[in-house]
Amino acid sequence: MELTTAASRKKEGRGWAWKGLSGFGKLLLTAYAVLTLYPLYWLFISAFKTNEDFFRHPYALPHVWMKENISRAWELGKMGRAMMNSTLVTVAAVILTLLLGILAGYVLSRFEFKLKKLVMGLFLVGLLIPIHSTLVPLFLMMKKIGLLDTYGALILPYTAFELPITIFLAIGFMASIPREIEEAAMIDGSGWWRIFGRIIFPLCTPIVATISILAFLRFWNDFSFALVFINSQSLKTLPLSLSLFSDGFGTDYSLTMGAMAIAVIPTIIIYLILQDQIMKGMVAGSIKG
Amino acid sequence: MSTALKSKGFIALALLPALILFLVFVIIPIFWSAYYGFFEWKGLGTAKFIGFGNYNEIIHDRIFWNALLNNLLLVASAIVGQIPVALLLALVLLRNSLFSKFIRSAVFMPMVLSTVVVGLIWGYIYHPQFGLANFILKEIGLGSWTRAWLSEPHINMLAITIPINWSNIGPYMVIYIAALQNIPSEIGDAAEVDGARGWRKLIYVTLPIIWSTVIVTLVLCISGSLKAFDHVIVMTNGGPAHTTELLATYMYNNTFHVYRYGYGSAVSTVIMLVSALLIAVNYAVTKRRSA
Repeated sequence: MELTTAASRKKEGRGWAWKGLSGFGKLLLTAYAVLTLYPLYWLFISAFKTNEDFFRHPYALPHVWMKENISRAWELGKMGRAMMNSTLVTVAAVILTLLLGILAGYVLSRFEFKLKKLVMGLFLVGLLIPIHSTLVPLFLMMKKIGLLDTYGALILPYTAFELPITIFLAIGFMASIPREIEEAAMIDGSGWWRIFGRIIFPLCTPIVATISILAFLRFWNDFSFALVFINSQSLKTLPLSLSLFSDGFGTDYSLTMGAMAIAVIPTIIIYLILQDQIMKGMVAGSIKG
Repeated sequence: MSTALKSKGFIALALLPALILFLVFVIIPIFWSAYYGFFEWKGLGTAKFIGFGNYNEIIHDRIFWNALLNNLLLVASAIVGQIPVALLLALVLLRNSLFSKFIRSAVFMPMVLSTVVVGLIWGYIYHPQFGLANFILKEIGLGSWTRAWLSEPHINMLAITIPINWSNIGPYMVIYIAALQNIPSEIGDAAEVDGARGWRKLIYVTLPIIWSTVIVTLVLCISGSLKAFDHVIVMTNGGPAHTTELLATYMYNNTFHVYRYGYGSAVSTVIMLVSALLIAVNYAVTKRRSA
């Protein structure tokens, strides 16, 4: 597969194995992209079909655009409630993650103390712990302290599991903030809390964006914790409602497709607006991890 | 920076909330499950200490070994199906042209979807009666290839790997692009002057430079395969007849469907050990390779 032309190679000083793309290469890549997007496209056209249309012509456009599917799914699936729950839990957990994580990251990047190595080591281990191995003990523990089936049953473990990556991202970022700024503030008589709140935290905006994006995606899309820790209909998040929706309305396929379309739209809109930051955040998150 | 006492108070107060939350919800549960793994407990009444009874049962349960095998299959499928495709795409889409950006964002898109949505969409695609997969096969004259993709043993685990690969190629691609863009272009030019082109350049120049990134993505493949729980719960729930069971679904079904909390705890501990082992093996193998 030779996708390089000598001319383009000369022109582009930067770049690695294959520099300019040939027309054939572009065609191949476009086909791959279309194939990748097809299941999503299929979801959206199916969401507007009647069940019969869905069976007979799975990949044609809808004969009649059934907008009712969406509104029926919204009502029958109590999607409004689920969306509110997801929003509430996600926002609360993101805020908690940012506050606790960046504060801890600040301490670990600026101060020397006895147990620092141990604390860092623990958070490092935390990056590697598979969440599913904690489902049973967390369930038992939360049952004991009465936390099961509350918003807290999601917010607290979400935050706890997001802390390690948040802390390491924060520590990495703090290294770029010159200590002179704090020293100057110290001379002015500011205490540490004031320095953190007034100077450090505001300087952290770029990393706050990265952390929030990573946390948002993880919390908004979480299924495992919600499945095990939430039972009440009124507390169910979007992924959990969807999984039950497909059981409850098993044969009403276009209705389930409608519910999925509703659930997917917010994430897709956010992705289209923030895709560069999401990709960058993903890279930062995984390299640290 | 002095004022030692004030600093000490700040360190404690600023670090403790994060540390306590993390210890309570992440670290302590591991010890809890190790502890409860030694008990027979139905969730009600008193727990009965049975020593290594649960572990003994686990290693004699064929379903457990099948689940472990399925997990390893997912790791293999990620390493074979995600890493090379992602690397190839990264090499081709390295330049920040409009076209590259468009393809990149299309490939990355499935990543932001919830795993439940991914599982449900693909569950419909694979549906034996009206699924898109069978429909297309019939249309192109391969009617004999149609099957119940998620029910037939041997086929169903492979069918499950496809949606997982589908949603995970994007992030690896982006990680590789970032790594490749960090290499100074002089190295590439020098390699070409020395006659390293195409595949040779990839294997002898590019790969060694980004090797640490490759290791990171391999670790992510391993931990990612242990997270495939959601897809399986939504698509097959481990069935039929436990053929698509993973360690995590095995743990889940034993704990929350038949209420064997002690047994589930023991399986949780085994999941911990397996993932630690896999990461250690990966580390040892890649270490030797780069030395």
